[in-house]
Amino acid sequence: MLTFARQLGRLPRDGRDTMFLLVVIAWLVLPQVGNLPLWCSTLAGGVLVWRGWLALMSRPLPGKWWLLGLLGITIAATLFTHRTLLGRDAGVTLIVVLLALKTLELRARRDAFVVFFLGFFTMLTNFFFSQSLLTAAAMLVGLLGLLTALVNAHMPVGRPPLMQAARTAGWMALVGAPIMLVLFLLFPRLAPLWGIPGDALSGRSGLSANMQVGTIASLALDDSIAMRVRFEGAVPPQSQLYFRGPVFSTFDGREWRPLSRRLGTQFPPPAVQRPANLQTRGEPVRYEVTMEPNNRPWLLTMDAAASPPDVPGFEAVMTADLQWVASRPVTDLLRYRAQSHPEFRHGPATAAGVLPELRELPAGFNPRTLALAAQMRRDPALANSQGPELVQAVLQRLRSGGYSYTLEPGVYGANTADEFWFDRKEGFCEHIASAFVVLMRALDVPARIVTGYQGGERNAVDGYWTVRQSDAHAWTEVWLPGPDGQAGSWVRVDPTSAVAPARTGSLQRLQAPQGLVAAALGNVLAPDLAASLRATWEAVNNRWNQWVLNYTQSRQLDLLKNLGFESPSWTDLSYVLLALIVAASLLGALWALWERSRHDPWLRLLQRVRRQLLKAGVPVPAAAPPRQMAELATRHLGEPAQALAAWLLRLEAQRYAPAAHASVATLRRELRQLARPR
Amino acid sequence: MHTATLNPFTFARQRFRRWWQSRLPLTDTTTLTQRNVYILPTRPGFMLGATLLVLLVSSINYQLNLGYLLTFLLAGSAVVGMHVCHGTLRGLTMNLIAPEPQFMGASATFGVKLLNSRRTARHGIGVAVLDASHPDHWSWTDVPAQGASTVQVAFRPARRGLQNLPPLTAETRFPLGTFRVWTVWRPAAQILVYPAPEPFAPPLPPGEPRSGGAASARVQSTGEFEGVRGYRRGDPLKLVVWKQAAKAQARGSDELVSRDTQQAQRYELWLDFALAGGGAAAADTEHRLSRLTAWVLQADKLGLDYGLRLPGIEVKPASGEAHKRRCLEALATC
Repeated sequence: MLTFARQLGRLPRDGRDTMFLLVVIAWLVLPQVGNLPLWCSTLAGGVLVWRGWLALMSRPLPGKWWLLGLLGITIAATLFTHRTLLGRDAGVTLIVVLLALKTLELRARRDAFVVFFLGFFTMLTNFFFSQSLLTAAAMLVGLLGLLTALVNAHMPVGRPPLMQAARTAGWMALVGAPIMLVLFLLFPRLAPLWGIPGDALSGRSGLSANMQVGTIASLALDDSIAMRVRFEGAVPPQSQLYFRGPVFSTFDGREWRPLSRRLGTQFPPPAVQRPANLQTRGEPVRYEVTMEPNNRPWLLTMDAAASPPDVPGFEAVMTADLQWVASRPVTDLLRYRAQSHPEFRHGPATAAGVLPELRELPAGFNPRTLALAAQMRRDPALANSQGPELVQAVLQRLRSGGYSYTLEPGVYGANTADEFWFDRKEGFCEHIASAFVVLMRALDVPARIVTGYQGGERNAVDGYWTVRQSDAHAWTEVWLPGPDGQAGSWVRVDPTSAVAPARTGSLQRLQAPQGLVAAALGNVLAPDLAASLRATWEAVNNRWNQWVLNYTQSRQLDLLKNLGFESPSWTDLSYVLLALIVAASLLGALWALWERSRHDPWLRLLQRVRRQLLKAGVPVPAAAPPRQMAELATRHLGEPAQALAAWLLRLEAQRYAPAAHASVATLRRELRQLARPR
Repeated sequence: MHTATLNPFTFARQRFRRWWQSRLPLTDTTTLTQRNVYILPTRPGFMLGATLLVLLVSSINYQLNLGYLLTFLLAGSAVVGMHVCHGTLRGLTMNLIAPEPQFMGASATFGVKLLNSRRTARHGIGVAVLDASHPDHWSWTDVPAQGASTVQVAFRPARRGLQNLPPLTAETRFPLGTFRVWTVWRPAAQILVYPAPEPFAPPLPPGEPRSGGAASARVQSTGEFEGVRGYRRGDPLKLVVWKQAAKAQARGSDELVSRDTQQAQRYELWLDFALAGGGAAAADTEHRLSRLTAWVLQADKLGLDYGLRLPGIEVKPASGEAHKRRCLEALATC
């Protein structure tokens, strides 16, 4: 970097400015590379390098036909990649390439401006893909770079150092920051003005709408945060922290799906045959969830939330599976309040009320598991069991049969349950849950898989309960009749806890294999330090999410409430904004008035002495220089004015001597200590 | 220019400009304040506004809070940039350095000294002559903190003679180029513009014989003739005009007068307006003046004595810088 700066320093001004602009543009485009089509990144990079080479060699720019040709190729490639020129992804691709191509056409001042403005757009397009703190920091650097280049372009004289322009740019941004803050806080948050193209909603990770064996294992490797929860009061025990996501009831031998395959795309969810029939007992747990966008309409709540989560701008409906579903996908950080009852019952009261699908298994799969079920049924102790004994027997098998919990279960064949029960005897929660449900159904016990998150950990820095993607979990529910003819209900059974009690009992999770960097860091830093660094970083990130990314209209109105508005509304927001603007203008006017009367500090000092002398009766002309004042003072006042005269000569030297001895501030202090002329 | 006057909008604008400029006070030193510094957005400024609008709409549509932050930070910086831009000119003092006389046809240049009493430098200030007839020629400069810098401004005078300097304008677009801040200043100083010397002027006219014209008339009236001068030590005795010496002695003076043989034999060079036409029918006043100017310069270069005869003015033959100036002044103002 230093050698690069030195090389920049040697270039002629034109070359230097161009190189600087190219570096800034590269900085803006670089974070996008992962999201752009490969050809686009390559083309943009190639063009930037080419342009840099031309600038270094002081070669002429390519002709119009080159540009038109490249533009044609770009448009064709964009059409080929995205099938359209409109929409977000195609737009991002086009903007990046246009920005790169425009650097080949930097001829007039207008061209430079086009580059700057395209640069601002490119900056915004970064936010489509990430709004993290790091992205924000990178783009702040980019913005300062662009402003620096812009300021530099308006210093026409000589070859001013770039630092000078950077200082001006930094100063503008710094003084502009309060304006940004006020506008950010008070500018009314509007709903999208028109429909967002569908591709805005792709490419984010989370739980999936169906479960193929293996998907959750890949999620477990993802240490990113799924949601943060702030509990009012104590955090419930770990074993109650089941955050419910999609529930899977149909199985085709390979893939688990919800009862309605269209769930997740339709709102309200298709009328499900049976109501959830939820009954709760005891005190609810109240909490606030800040959920990362998952592009799904699922509102994760702790089991079991009887009342809809309080989500501003969303409608929420509960499915028969007890899952809360929102009216539209969660595409942004979302915060909602909810309350759940850890003690609850739900599901049909009688066996006849249970859907037959919940006992079905696909034909032709897992023959050995079916055989195992038949064998268990022949066991006299289990022959007439309604369910509870069967569940216990299977859990006992899991505990004592040499089964283990692993993140790397390998690739399963067609008969996943058979492989789990008899061959591999190891798996991740979804394998275990799937094999468990298959066996239960083979035993004619209604069962289904529930996915979601289980557990989490407390961030010691800010006290939020943090749930990561690696906390994604699959457990099961089994319908069991009540004892002695009482009403039956769905009962949560977590077979994974039978295999690995630590997974759900305490905080322990299987550690995903670390990346190279993380491993190196882990070796260098003490584990405690690494953990606390991570906690701090996540707390900062959470602040960022809470205060920046999740600053919504309701928060704006909260702010107004804190400012003393009874029932704040949209218009109040505008009034406050307007009032602030008026106040700022008034302040500006006052400042201008003050500035008009402001003079050079040296002159002010001289005028002060002149007034003192006038008061003492010395006729000092208005434009008298210090030396003349000194003479007049000694002539009229004699000996007592000697000190003042000497001071005046020092004042003169301060301004006119080749090397100043004292600063104006020192002189001012000295004057204060001098006796007033009389 | 012609089409411009036909366009009613441009015409009105020019009239307004003239009326407005005529209201400005004439002064050689001006300190720029809020009153005489003007600001308007430039085309890139409007472009930036449009960019901000698009950024805002994108942020709204994609619900990007970080997009809002970017938009507002950019807007904030632009607002601060506007103040910085205005502050670049505000508080600046401009001094006109008294202009030297100029010839028509050439670009007249004069200096403007910019004084900055502020503790920070002012960047990218351009000074130019405000003239609708040709594109502005800007001279750009930076003014260091609590320092001064001088710019040379050029303009092409439209006519000869003593005239006011054209109004000057100072402009800056620093730092973002989104606003144009400018001021207009009418200097009080006047500039003398000599006629343009005729290129490839004909050779100097033949001198007039010493005895001819006005000189001979004077001989008759005074009984004397031109071509005498004061006695210089070493003059041969035969050159002394004894008759004059006797007259002088009769008056009580002992001045001696010698006959100037050299002068007497040569012609006297008179550059005469009436004779500068060269016989060409199209020769008008300006053309004659232009030729006379060329002749004055030529004669001055050769170190000759020359006189200038213009309608109403006559400059006695002499030589030297001061004489040349007098002649050129006469030519400029007649």
